Amino acid sequence: MLTRKTTDVSSFFRFIAKHTAYLYFLLYCTLSIMLMQLQRKETLDAIRERGLVINAAIGKQFTDATAIFTQERDNQHLFLQNARLFARLLRQQAALRDAGELKAIVANAPQWTGRFKVARVVDRRFSATENMLIIDAGSRQGVARDMAVLTPDGLVGRVIDVSQNYAKVMPVVNRNFMVSVVSDSTRTNGLLAWRNGNERLAKIEHVPVSSKLLVGEGVATSGYSTFASRGIPVGQIIRISKDKLFYNVDVRLAVDFSSLSWVLVSLAKPSMEKIELMQSPDSPEKGE
Amino acid sequence: MNKYLLYTIALVILAFVQRFLVSKLLILHASPDILAIFIAFVSMSTGQRTGTNFGFGAGLIAGILSGDLGLSALLGTVQGFVAGFFHVPQESHATSVKKKRMFYAASATALIAGNLLQSLLSDPLSLPLYVRIPETVILGTLMSMMLTVLLYHFALKKLLKD
Repeated sequence: MLTRKTTDVSSFFRFIAKHTAYLYFLLYCTLSIMLMQLQRKETLDAIRERGLVINAAIGKQFTDATAIFTQERDNQHLFLQNARLFARLLRQQAALRDAGELKAIVANAPQWTGRFKVARVVDRRFSATENMLIIDAGSRQGVARDMAVLTPDGLVGRVIDVSQNYAKVMPVVNRNFMVSVVSDSTRTNGLLAWRNGNERLAKIEHVPVSSKLLVGEGVATSGYSTFASRGIPVGQIIRISKDKLFYNVDVRLAVDFSSLSWVLVSLAKPSMEKIELMQSPDSPEKGE
Repeated sequence: MNKYLLYTIALVILAFVQRFLVSKLLILHASPDILAIFIAFVSMSTGQRTGTNFGFGAGLIAGILSGDLGLSALLGTVQGFVAGFFHVPQESHATSVKKKRMFYAASATALIAGNLLQSLLSDPLSLPLYVRIPETVILGTLMSMMLTVLLYHFALKKLLKD
């Protein structure tokens, strides 16, 4: 009986020894399934977290190592992106500046004349020989020759040529430009012209030494002008010196032409009758 | 150096290679499994018991790296166990052709079992079963088998002869 029992036990152990792989398999499968079930528990979360930290740290090193090979491409990509953003920033800044200037110019539009057309300076040529402005308003917008161009600060010039959508403006700072002006205190009349190379300085000519002109007086267009309405500011007298018959009067111009980007075109039509009359010969025609 | 120590060192290195290099070679949602190939190799050359132990250990290491401890351990265990059926004992004096065939068979069985189990138990992409099984099992096994052939010719062939 005892021998039989011993044989049974030994055969059992032999069976176990022969199939340990199956036992290990069952054991490990059980452990694995337990781990899967326990994976939601806090203790294993910590292990998992640590694993992820290691994983992330090594992954980062790996990514850093591979980044060396892609660095040039990445840099190029970033450079292009930077360029695109920079271009967009420039456009937006320009738009903001334009909007601000436009708002200011409309808000400060002088009230002493009629309607105005707001126009943008699209081209400018300031040189010793030819100073001209091109604005983006033409005959379609109601602009015509000999209209006055100004800003809220003062007179800019005169329209001398017009296309459908653009107009050419002869500014005050042009050797061929002349405008009749009057001083605001002593009401002294004269002809304002620009002669020298300084774009902020002009001269008033034909002011007799007998006049009581004062330094610091403001100068505005007079009613004698053939294109500008009366009273458009032109500048301020900064220096007066005597010549033989006339004063040499230096005027600091009201408009800063170096930063001119928006202008107003006075849509008041110039008096053609007055122009024709002034251009007619001085001597009366002889009758037959 | 002790053969098992060598296998353990190789296992750790391969676990990192699998996690950070081989797993990036994705086609659709499948990638080769170098660790399963190595488990199959160890199991085939050392026996089912050692292969199962080794597979469990390998699964734990892979699980620590991937964050999925239980599933990886289960996959490793199953792969080691099923590859053990193709064990070629050292003293059997089997020809190299037979060893090669057994290695391929062990690898294929381990890969199919592992991929099938993985596609059934894990679904991180929420793909339907009819997409997961062809992609993971068929494509994953094919890719891994290609890697198996390469590994055999360039590295494991010499080890199996020894």
